[in-house]
Amino acid sequence: MALRLILGIALAVLVVHTATAQPGPDHLRLIAPAAPGGGWDQTARVMQAVLQGAGLVRTSSVENIPGAAGTIGLARFVSAERGNGDVLMLSGLIMLGAVVTHQSPVTLREVTPIARLLGEYEVVVVPAASSIRSLADLVDVFRARPESVSWGGGSAGGTDQILAGLFADAVGVSPSRVNYIAFSGGGESLSAILGGQVTVGVNGLAELAPHIEAGSVRPLAISSAERLPGLDVPTFQEQGVDVEIENWRSVVAPPGVSAAERERLDRVVEAMVRSPQWQDALVRYRWNDRYLAGTAFARFAAAEEARVEGILARLGTGAGARGEAAAPLGRYPLFVLLGLAVSALWSARGMMRAQRPPAETPVSTEVVTGRRGAVALVVLAAAIDVLLLERAGFIVASAALFWITARAFDATRPVRDAAFALGISVACYVVFVRWLDLSLPAGMLAGWL
Amino acid sequence: MPETLRLLAEGFAGAMTWPHLAWAFAGVTLGTAVGVLPGIGPALTVALLLPVTFSLDPVSAFIMFGGIYYGAMYGGSTTSILINSPGETASIITAIDGHMMARKGRASAALTTAAVGSFVAGTLATLGLTFFAPLLASVALSFGPAEYFSLTLVAFTTVAVLLGASLARGLFSLFLGLGLGLVGIDQLTGTARFSFGIPQLLDGIDVMILVIGLFAVGETLHQAWRHGQDEGDMVALREFSWMSRDDWRRSWRPWLRGTAIGFPLGVLPCGGSVIPTVVSYMVERRLSKRPEEFGQGAIEGVAGPEAANNASAAGVLVPLLTLGLPSSATAAVLLTAFQQYGLQPGPLLFSTRPDLVWTLIASLYIGNAMLLVLNLPLAPLWARVMLVPRSLLFGSILVLASVGAYSLNRSLLDVAILYTVGAIGWGMRRLDIPLVPAVLGLILGPLAEQQFRRAVAISEGDYAVFLARPISAALLIAAAAVFVLPLWLRRPRGAVAP
Repeated sequence: MALRLILGIALAVLVVHTATAQPGPDHLRLIAPAAPGGGWDQTARVMQAVLQGAGLVRTSSVENIPGAAGTIGLARFVSAERGNGDVLMLSGLIMLGAVVTHQSPVTLREVTPIARLLGEYEVVVVPAASSIRSLADLVDVFRARPESVSWGGGSAGGTDQILAGLFADAVGVSPSRVNYIAFSGGGESLSAILGGQVTVGVNGLAELAPHIEAGSVRPLAISSAERLPGLDVPTFQEQGVDVEIENWRSVVAPPGVSAAERERLDRVVEAMVRSPQWQDALVRYRWNDRYLAGTAFARFAAAEEARVEGILARLGTGAGARGEAAAPLGRYPLFVLLGLAVSALWSARGMMRAQRPPAETPVSTEVVTGRRGAVALVVLAAAIDVLLLERAGFIVASAALFWITARAFDATRPVRDAAFALGISVACYVVFVRWLDLSLPAGMLAGWL
Repeated sequence: MPETLRLLAEGFAGAMTWPHLAWAFAGVTLGTAVGVLPGIGPALTVALLLPVTFSLDPVSAFIMFGGIYYGAMYGGSTTSILINSPGETASIITAIDGHMMARKGRASAALTTAAVGSFVAGTLATLGLTFFAPLLASVALSFGPAEYFSLTLVAFTTVAVLLGASLARGLFSLFLGLGLGLVGIDQLTGTARFSFGIPQLLDGIDVMILVIGLFAVGETLHQAWRHGQDEGDMVALREFSWMSRDDWRRSWRPWLRGTAIGFPLGVLPCGGSVIPTVVSYMVERRLSKRPEEFGQGAIEGVAGPEAANNASAAGVLVPLLTLGLPSSATAAVLLTAFQQYGLQPGPLLFSTRPDLVWTLIASLYIGNAMLLVLNLPLAPLWARVMLVPRSLLFGSILVLASVGAYSLNRSLLDVAILYTVGAIGWGMRRLDIPLVPAVLGLILGPLAEQQFRRAVAISEGDYAVFLARPISAALLIAAAAVFVLPLWLRRPRGAVAP
């Protein structure tokens, strides 16, 4: 779709898409249940490029639905996309963990599994200047005083923390004694590792590989079962620590798709992973090819779900961190709430004492009522917008919002305002949905748009 | 250094052909156009426009990236100035004095100082990137959680100049923002706080929603309330003057200072591009001979922060190119784009693919110049937005605000929160409670808390860590100085005067 945008600007040079033997739907939507920049978003955007480049679909788009490690996207996918055969969502090990951690009411059992696509191994590293030279050193230090070892990694309850917990368990230390420092995002944790701010770093191989090659970090162990070719990093297993984990990613379809649609999605994903473009991408991003489709994938996912639930329960993270009722309020939230109350009272006292300076409102009372009406109109417009947005669709709701708001400022030209209201709503819809691929509810006009 | 110059020249040679310049122009135009839309921040803008580059050869694609990146960073200031509705967090500060300038008929001057300031800052910061990237990156690595916590405290002190007329009300606004920042998953433990069992609240309240709600929706309600009362304010609008000589004289120092503040703070990932803009605003106000003009349309209050946010955009590229560390969401998207071409930014990139790196850096200079060429002639045209009838203008603002809020997470709840925040924003305007401290509280509160707890966890509960580490201690002293010195030197002027 964005292609159309650039075509309008420079009618030139673009590659002609070969429409021969296109097995997929005309337009395939990919949902990344995360913000731009994360692993799922990255995978979705690579898929988009491969699908279009290999001519498997005519166009493809990526939509981001971020929130709570993918569980918001999952809930939305199950409810809003039910029965749609032209959409796939990215999923994987992290989502299994998040469903447990955030006690998501919607689980991955409700979607239609399509295929596992790829996997990434985890590496444990120390800064190049660290006195820890090997995994054996780390085990010694860790056993002697577990809390003195700070582990830097990604968000709480994710693969990095699971690995740290598995390690503790394997060397006979209670996983709850792991001093895990959660950073938001790979970049932040990586800079803490490179800067020697933490004792040990846990991260995906793809992020760490350039730093291992450059010698700025020292790898201690990789979470694969066997050594990877071309990478001189020993596994946990060969150093006598029984830890093995792979962060896999998959695609799923909504619940309630027909058998024919499911088969079509299966075919397009299979054609994608067989394409040379995908194989190139695997090498480029250092992903392991883990294509597994159909019932085999469904069985694998079920087994992983059981494993993750077990691990998280033992770790005392995630499900162990339980609901908010169980967690006592920390000192910081108390400080903030207290500050809010004190400053509110203090301000209120100041205002009472000042008794509202009369100079500030020199206007007569008649105008006051008139303006109150204007504010009420804007409030009404907002309320109608919230009520109608998903029921009647964006265009209807926004036109109403615009028109009523305009009434609050100038009630003399209702027809002109109505024309503008409709024009601007339609223009917004076209720009956001047709050009930018950001979906807005079509509502009652769905058939026409 | 001569080696760097030679490589840079080669980069320019690769970039300076007519088709490449056309791609740069297309990138800048698209980046600005999409960046202007509220709720679509730079990260999403770049992500949305990436597919456009899929079918291009790497050099053209990189040139377009440069344009899109700077264009997206630039887009937000226009709506801040014209309609008091920042398109992204980096231009909140611009709204304060920029919009006051626009209401006094000086929209063109405000837009011009923003455009020229962005160009000056972008170019100088790109020079910094060209020559000092590896050095700066190694300094950035010496910042751990303790240093970042102390840095957030320094940023908190800037709130002092934004508190407005009453200390109590300013603090109330700040604590309101801090309180909103408590909502959502606690990053360090994965536990939910104050989310009341609503899954959409698990990720907290988006800063964009707070910004669009307080400013755009709040402003609409406020204008509806006052409509017909202050038409007098709008008299001078027929005048579309560019910057006067006096404007130039008052702008050039803030541009340079903004660059000096923005670039290093961009290299250090700390709360995104909003921190450099507030720090710049505080510095300009403290140094100004006419601090009373701040908040009433002081051009320095636009020139400094606008330069700072563009310089920080270039600063973000330092850790990205030299270490492969994406320190912002936008940088993470750019990282994906690099990998699309088989490039792994990081310690080895400069030696493995110098041709592409230098072409990219050259294209940043070009994109910056293009941005100026594009936006200077547009400034007087944009300024005419101020002549659109209020009814149509505020109707459009509300529609765009709701699109922006909805498209963030595709959640109706976000739209409802937007309007609620808008009503609060109107109430705050009525009671003369400043808005900006609330936004800073929401951004800085969670950062300060997380970094503090990380630092203490790493030191195994030893609170002395903040004073034991030299950089952290120096920052703490700086934070204390910002508070104490003005009180000491003369009677409080910056904090309590209007």
